[in-house]
This record gives sequence, C-alpha cells and structure tokens, in this order.
Amino acid sequence: MSQELGRSVKPLANVVKAEGAEPLFQAGDTVKISMRFPVGHYRVPTYIRGKRARVEAVVEPAAINNEDESFGRNAGVKRHYYRIAIPLGELWKGYAGSKNDGLRIEVFETWLERS
Amino acid sequence: MTQTENLVKRLPTEMGGLDAGPVQRTEHEYAPWEKRCHALANMLDIHKIVSTEEKRRGVEALGSEMVEKLTYYERWIVAFANILFQKQILTPEELARKMNDVSARHGEPQDASTKSAVG
Amino acid sequence: MSSHAHAHTPAPDTGDAVPGYYEVMETAVRELLVEKKVIGAGEIRQMLEVMDTRTPALGSKIVARAWVDPEFRARLLANGRATLEELGIDFFEDTQLIVLENTDSVHNLVVCTLCSCYPREILGLPPDWYKMKPYRARAVKEPRAVLAEFGTVIPDDVEIRVSDSTAMIRFLVLPQRPKGTEGFTEEQLAGLVTRDAMIGVVRASNPEKKEKSR
Repeated sequence: MSQELGRSVKPLANVVKAEGAEPLFQAGDTVKISMRFPVGHYRVPTYIRGKRARVEAVVEPAAINNEDESFGRNAGVKRHYYRIAIPLGELWKGYAGSKNDGLRIEVFETWLERS
Repeated sequence: MTQTENLVKRLPTEMGGLDAGPVQRTEHEYAPWEKRCHALANMLDIHKIVSTEEKRRGVEALGSEMVEKLTYYERWIVAFANILFQKQILTPEELARKMNDVSARHGEPQDASTKSAVG
Repeated sequence: MSSHAHAHTPAPDTGDAVPGYYEVMETAVRELLVEKKVIGAGEIRQMLEVMDTRTPALGSKIVARAWVDPEFRARLLANGRATLEELGIDFFEDTQLIVLENTDSVHNLVVCTLCSCYPREILGLPPDWYKMKPYRARAVKEPRAVLAEFGTVIPDDVEIRVSDSTAMIRFLVLPQRPKGTEGFTEEQLAGLVTRDAMIGVVRASNPEKKEKSR
C-alpha cells in the first residue's frame, strides 16, 4: 500500500465506509421529497411532500436524524442533510412573484428519492 | 374517509402555507420567568437531559388547543413537565406539591386545602 | 426589573406581582431539578448572563466587519460558525450557521415554519412576530407581500430566496451595504444594521434616514 507524500493521501484499500457515511446525492442532483405522513412528529413540512427539488449542497458532516432525536435517541446511523431548492411557483398554485423566487430547506437523506 | 386524519397528519405547530392575516409587528419585553424558561431549555439541552428536538416534539404533543391558546413559553414549560415525567426525572405529584409551595410563598396558595392551613 | 428566584432562598420577589400559573410551574420545575442535582444551582443565572450578551448589536458588528473586510466576509460565507467562534461567540446548541449574502440579484429571507428556529447565539431572542402564524404561514408562500408589509419592495428581477430552517442550520442574512457609506467607521456601519435586516425583512438603513427600529 503506497502513499504519495506531498500529494493528497490515497484512501487505504479494503476499508469499508460506515453506512450512511457517503452522501447518496450530490449538488445538482434532482430529487423528490417522499410522500409519507409520520404520526407524532416530523421535520419535513407537509407543503414540500412529493415535490421535486434540486440539491444545492450536501451538508457536512453526516448527522443523526433529527426526527429520531426528538424521541430521545441520540445515537444511530448518521446520514447527510441536503440543502435543496424548490421554485415557489412549483409549491403554490398561482404564485404571483418572480419565477426565480425559491425555497431553500434542509432535508434529511431518508426523505429524499432520486428523481 | 375520516375527517380527523388531517389533525394527525399535520402537526398543530406547522404553519407553512396556511391562510393568515397581516404580520402584526408586536414585540413584548420578555418577562423574567420567560427568560428563565429559555435558560432552563438551554441547560437541559447542554446537559443532554432534554434535547431541543425533544422539546419541539413535546410542544407538538400538547395538541392543537393548547398550542393555540398557550403562549410561547407557557407551551415550553408544560412540555418540559411532561417530558421530565416521561423520563422519570420528576413525578406529577412532586411537581404539584412544589407548585403549591411556590404559590404559598406569595400568600396565595393554589390548593384549597393549604389555603386553610395558611389561614 | 428582573428577579431570579434561587432554589436555596425561597423568598418572595420583592415588589413583583403574584406569579401566574406558568411562572409558578417554571419556578417549581427549576427548583426541583436543582434539588435533584440535575442542574447546578447557579447555572440558570449564568446562562441568563450569557443570553443577555447576545443581542442584535452583536449581529450588526459582524455585518459591519464583513462590509469593510473582504477576507473576513469570505471566511464568514464559507463557514459561519467557525468564523464566529474565532471571535469568541460560542454556540449553545449543535447547530451550524450559514450567512446568506444579499446581492443585486438575490434577496434572502429566513423563517421557521415548524417552530421558531433563529440564530439566538448572535441575535438574541426573536421578536414575537417571527414566532407567530402570519409570518410563519406566509413568508414561504407570498414573501413579496410579507416584505411589502415591512415596507420592503423587491424588484421582480431580483430573486427572493426563502430559507425555512427545519434542521440544524441557522441563518443570518448579510444585507447589502447601503450606498453613500464610503469612509464610514465600522461602528457607524453597524448602526445601520437592524435585527430585521438580518432576518431579511428589511434592507440595511440608509445613512440619511437612520431608522429607530431595533
């Protein structure tokens, strides 16, 4: 296993990353917010459920699912949040502002699907 | 199809997109107890006893009528009481007794039986 | 007047009105937690002192520095929390801070539709209206109408970005520096930056008509 000194260190071979450690999505990806309705608590507003969005940025580092934290869980698989963008015209029928107006919101990986 | 499922599907605290009137730019000076309540929330979070996320869920769990009718920090303190009971850090009885003690210091106990004791 | 009841000296607050039901509850919860050593006796008072130092004036200073120091501005935009921690502004919660830069083509606005997430470590406690239904309902749906209620008109060719804080990121809007402020000191510049400008509902004040809003 050779490492080139003075340049970026190559990852060691045969090391498997933890589940969730690699982001599933990258900036620029189109995603869809899942359509599901958790009972009792959620952190994804209903007005974006089922909508398509563009990933603007991957939030680092991977973190605990805040929805799980609300029930006292503070350990578990860490995944990424994504800052996503949705045009307001796609969220609200008859939106009267500029077509460039948009929402930015952070959503946990388990709520996003490839679109 | 039941009419009530929207009460369950949408949290009483979620406001995005609802119809609402103009923004009332009222501001109020925070009462000392409200600031103390906020400081308490910060300490419970820092000590990892009740996280901010748990507190949010606790407020949601108060249900639509309380969420609508209690003020901001009133919701917090009731939510904290409930969460601390669930975590078995406090019991409803000891909190109720302590609340009577606190009220009694100001000469106006809340409980009828202690009223006669104070005279 | 502020009065901090201490668990070990349960004396009535002098001169204060009889506490209401919820204040009694807060006092009782706090005293019980101290008795059970869940929290320390002086911790609430210490936290209150820390909270008192976080006011919009802190945010205004940060904005003013970003206006005059391009290198600071770049670092602030790249990593808000780390840059502010270098200034000694510690964060109570496990949150990140993103500074949202207003430009000629983008105007940023911040809201929390699910609760009341707000950059309290920098701006202190939020105004009532930020936590209440009209703002929280309409900021994501009709931001231009909401801004107009604050006297802010954004031209149609400027993009409005509404950030809905639902996770562990908090936002501070970096308003544009007003024209006619060349040569102003940082202190003078900070005086033009109100809390509302850092939420994104108004622009920074112009030097001629300095507003008295908080």
